[in-house]
Amino acid sequence: MMSSVAARRNTRTFEWAQTRDLLRELIARDIKLRYRGSLLGILWTLLNPLAELLVLYFVFGTVLQVTIPNFPAYLFTGLLVYGWFQTSLNFATGAVVANRELVRRPGVPVLILPVVTVASNLVHFVLSLPILIGLLLVTHVPLTAVALLLPGLIAIEFVLILGFAYPVATVNVWFRDTSHVLRIALQLLFYMTPIFYETSTVPANLQWWYRVNPLTHLVGAYRAILMRGELPDAGGLTYLTLFSIAVCLAGMAWYRRASYKFADEI
Amino acid sequence: MDTVVTVSHVGKSYRRYHPDRPATIQEAVAKGLRRMRHVERFWGLRDISFTVPAGRTLGIVGANGSGKSTLLRLIGGVGRPDTGRIDVHGRIGALLDLGAGFHPELTGRENAVLAGILNGLTRRQVLERMDEIVAFAEVEDALDNPIRTFSSGMQVRLGFAVAVHTQPDILIIDEALSVGDISFQKKCLDRMKQIKASGCAILLVSHENSTVEEFCDDAIWLNAGRLIAQGSASDIVRQYQAGMAGAAAAH
Repeated sequence: MMSSVAARRNTRTFEWAQTRDLLRELIARDIKLRYRGSLLGILWTLLNPLAELLVLYFVFGTVLQVTIPNFPAYLFTGLLVYGWFQTSLNFATGAVVANRELVRRPGVPVLILPVVTVASNLVHFVLSLPILIGLLLVTHVPLTAVALLLPGLIAIEFVLILGFAYPVATVNVWFRDTSHVLRIALQLLFYMTPIFYETSTVPANLQWWYRVNPLTHLVGAYRAILMRGELPDAGGLTYLTLFSIAVCLAGMAWYRRASYKFADEI
Repeated sequence: MDTVVTVSHVGKSYRRYHPDRPATIQEAVAKGLRRMRHVERFWGLRDISFTVPAGRTLGIVGANGSGKSTLLRLIGGVGRPDTGRIDVHGRIGALLDLGAGFHPELTGRENAVLAGILNGLTRRQVLERMDEIVAFAEVEDALDNPIRTFSSGMQVRLGFAVAVHTQPDILIIDEALSVGDISFQKKCLDRMKQIKASGCAILLVSHENSTVEEFCDDAIWLNAGRLIAQGSASDIVRQYQAGMAGAAAAH
């Protein structure tokens, strides 16, 4: 019996199945905990971007009358894509410190804690996609086969968010006011990303920022495949992908090094 | 017998910080990062070496703060020793916190599934054993209530039941036995003897010397982070008791 048990344990398939189950349980736990006691919970998170859409549409579409074609869909795409980024990072501050009991328990690969945060927010992102698709259809945007690239873009955004989630989770172990600083930074970034305006209307001396900001390319790529039925700009997409991978590897390496001290610090 | 746990020259230091150490970004900006650095180090564990063969039980005795729990955590892979190394061969089942790492808002069942996975099983394997686990823990009626409604005894029973039903190669138990009542303690010890017989190594911290003496083959005695003595459980318990009596007399 011992040998068969040992053989089973030694297979990679088993380890993979075990990690997958752990991820699944932790993501389900995250979502359950957030909505336990409120059946309307998921609905509320869906209403949030809709409310934002209404407010921004009123200000920029109705009052200021921007000339962006199909502004509601343009705006909502930007809001959802940025929303996943923003809420994930806000939750990432707690990825380690709010999981004290897991960090101090044997058997928990702490590397997956930020992954769980980003993934559980991905669930919300995916749940709100039908609303976006509905909005596209209502505003007569035909979805083309290019839209099938969506999972690829989502994967890239996942890696990008994770790359920032690792350092955010790490910093908050030592500095517990990280969420305040982060909130300000994310608000600034919201305005410095073309969510309710177009990059072309930005003054020439600020254009460099929009070339550097990976979110410009990310939002742009989503809009290209969903709203225009075009392939994303190759240069921008390459930059975005390389940037995301680089940030993720660096963030993960830093987090891993710091993780040996987590149990002592929280 | 194969050695499943090898601890060689393990040391773990903790940093003591300036009392004014910044804890927020705001303070760090105001006071500067200089005070982030530690002012001194102290050793929670120093130069600890021992091995545990498969199918043997090792008791760890020592006063509060002697480093017993730190040592168990390191063996469980939480944190890293600053010196030396720890080699573990096989899957670890652990019950280190009395709460077993349960989340108070989740149900007993949800917590048990997660705990089983953390002990190295797949979800399906845990579900297959759920009936056995629940029956052992005697929490059938409460299983689908949130853990916060469980008494501490029920929580420990569930945590223990998961840990011993996951067929670990190495079982690490910290003080959990002292929480249950006598009949549950007996049940735990019987179960531990059973899994020991199937080749599982067990590391046990207990303040009850009689438990260590009866149940463990070997023992080590830690004091102030150092290994004072190792040997057969009965010898070590005797030395430890004599040492403690001597320390009490000296005061």
